[in-house]
Amino acid sequence: MKFYSQSIALFGIVLPVLACALFAGLGFTLKSNMLDSYDTKHALFRTYETNRVKAHHVEKAISHQREHFDRWSELLAEDPSSAVNTNLRAIAETLPNKEFQKTAFERSTSKGGFGSVTAQPSSQLRIVFRGTFRTMQRAFLELESRMPQLQLQELRIEPNTNQQAPSALLNYQVNYTAWEN
Amino acid sequence: MLLRQTSRASNPAWYQEALDLDFQLHIRTDGRVVSAFFFDRHKAQWAKGLELTEADLRDPAKMETSAARILVQARSFKATALGVILHIGDEFATAELKPELDNPASLQELREAAIHKPDTILDDSSIPPEQNSWRVLPYPAQGSGVIGTTITLGRQYAPLLATFRQTGEAGNFPIITHALSAPLVTVMGLAQYAPPTPGKSTIAILQYPWFTALAFFNEHADLLLIRTLQHRLLRHSTQLRHAVATTNASLELIDPDILILSLGQDLDADLQRNLSSAFPSSGISLITPPTPDNIPAWCLEPVIAVTPPPKGATVPSLTFGIMRDEKWALQDFLPPPKEVVEIYPTRAEMRLLHGVRLARVGAFVIAVAVAVWFAFGILEIVRRDAWTFNTNEADFIKTRLQKLSVELQKSEHWDNMLEDRSKAWTSMELLSRLFPERSGVLVKNFSHTVRPDTAPGQAKIGFVKEWKITGLARDEALERLNTLNTQEGISAQFSEVARITGNPVFNPALRTRSIAVNVRTQENGSYKPLPLEETYDTDESSYSFSFDLTITQRFETSDPMAIHVAKAP
Repeated sequence: MKFYSQSIALFGIVLPVLACALFAGLGFTLKSNMLDSYDTKHALFRTYETNRVKAHHVEKAISHQREHFDRWSELLAEDPSSAVNTNLRAIAETLPNKEFQKTAFERSTSKGGFGSVTAQPSSQLRIVFRGTFRTMQRAFLELESRMPQLQLQELRIEPNTNQQAPSALLNYQVNYTAWEN
Repeated sequence: MLLRQTSRASNPAWYQEALDLDFQLHIRTDGRVVSAFFFDRHKAQWAKGLELTEADLRDPAKMETSAARILVQARSFKATALGVILHIGDEFATAELKPELDNPASLQELREAAIHKPDTILDDSSIPPEQNSWRVLPYPAQGSGVIGTTITLGRQYAPLLATFRQTGEAGNFPIITHALSAPLVTVMGLAQYAPPTPGKSTIAILQYPWFTALAFFNEHADLLLIRTLQHRLLRHSTQLRHAVATTNASLELIDPDILILSLGQDLDADLQRNLSSAFPSSGISLITPPTPDNIPAWCLEPVIAVTPPPKGATVPSLTFGIMRDEKWALQDFLPPPKEVVEIYPTRAEMRLLHGVRLARVGAFVIAVAVAVWFAFGILEIVRRDAWTFNTNEADFIKTRLQKLSVELQKSEHWDNMLEDRSKAWTSMELLSRLFPERSGVLVKNFSHTVRPDTAPGQAKIGFVKEWKITGLARDEALERLNTLNTQEGISAQFSEVARITGNPVFNPALRTRSIAVNVRTQENGSYKPLPLEETYDTDESSYSFSFDLTITQRFETSDPMAIHVAKAP
């Protein structure tokens, strides 16, 4: 009679094999979980690396523009009417009085010119001057350099038509679209 | 534990028969003398064993001492196991099978039943089974009337053999016991030492001190009957001659050969002569086979038990063939009790246990290998950069990229919106470059307009710039006007302005923009020809022609100067 076969089979084979299988199963589960976790982390890591490189390139691209952008932001934050007048006063101080005269200034918040085709807020400025050609050119150069948000819509230059009081000064009428933030 | 603390897995002797072991101790008792001999099976050598007495075999205290001495002696011979074969020659009895058990084919079943359920096969049910042991002995001879009988022995030596086995187990030394009926062994040995004469019936008379066994064979040397005559301390049974004669007559044997074997010290030497007078026609022989050194001539059973007939030797009859081959004469009368045997695993179980141990080692190695594999796999994973990566950084860099992207979009947006696409001072520079001083041209009017295209659904919008200049021209200016009225002429002027002012909007080289020019001249109706020295620049009558110049510059939506439609992000 074989009384011990079952015990030997149970304790000698079945239980050790079950223990090994359990151990292997635990190992597989652990490794599988780790791999899943790793895959998730790896995907995030790859996204991170891609984003990091992109951010580096973007940072590099905008780093040299940031200074200008800050200045632009300051300019755009100002009211265009007062900014134009302030700048014209400052410009006028550097120019001969008789060769540069602002004779009219109007501001319209209605859309026009470039402002009519874009969603960017803007206003329309109409300014009338009298002055000599070169002095006015210098004044425009200074004004448009100081205020790059001014986009010229129209410029008219006409001689003085008053035959009774002939003058070397010309009449200038400019219309600007002033971008606003 | 069994594997470590016993040699049952490594020493096969635990599961072998005593007669199959290399080192054997044969103990023979005939009621008068106890003899013991060691037998080295490999060398086929006999040696005298310990001096033993009847008391050594029956007194429990002496049994243990004897067993211990025997174990020491066996170990001194460097034996790894010992077979103890007890030849019981102090008793011999037969008990008849139930008459209805007459099927020779059921002999094997009867053999098993005699061991485990003797009461089911014995005709006399009054014999107590706990004090006796029965073994079936077949009668192969035709016409014997019964298929066999049972040999009965008492169990008085069972404690002795149990003591031997327990001593062996205690010393982790296999001592395998086997109790033989000495007369049965002797009957089996007749085939080698006194083979019956073919064609003649034979009666074998086995003389023992306490009994005489009679074995009757037919003319084919097959066993017809075996019986015994008890005579205890007498030299021989007084009924022997009569018993031989009556049995011979009942079996109708004709002048059988009578073989006498004297199997004890100082037995009746006149038996041959006594029988001669009773059986004058029979050949009566006293058989004295040669025995090995150290073995007395009357001590045949140990020699017969370990000496099989030479290979190829003719077996006299079926009886002698099955007695050794099927071990009818070598049956163990006092085997270990079933409940003792069942304590220990079988040999197959021990092999299984041994194999399982190897399997466990293999499983452990595999488990360790798997663990190492897992460990390396895990180590490989945790050593990668991605494993130690802090996932919060992914969100951080993502947010940072989004912010930077918005910043970049804003920057690009305002970079576009603030492009120098339309400046008053550059247009004035264009005018002064088109008509420099003293070029013979008097400009009367200058207008410049910029209007965007209307193309719904576009991300960027192109635009059109137009310059209109009217004025007067002298003759020398006509060539200039004509030059300006060509694509090359006006493009050259724009290129010059772009270079001088640094304003790329005047650059005509891009394919996404185009320039058109139109100059119309006509005679000045108020022209008055005068000498040159009498004229001045503002005198309109000194100009022979009037002109009308229109320049149109178109920028497509793909042009870098095209304006963004969307609001700043």
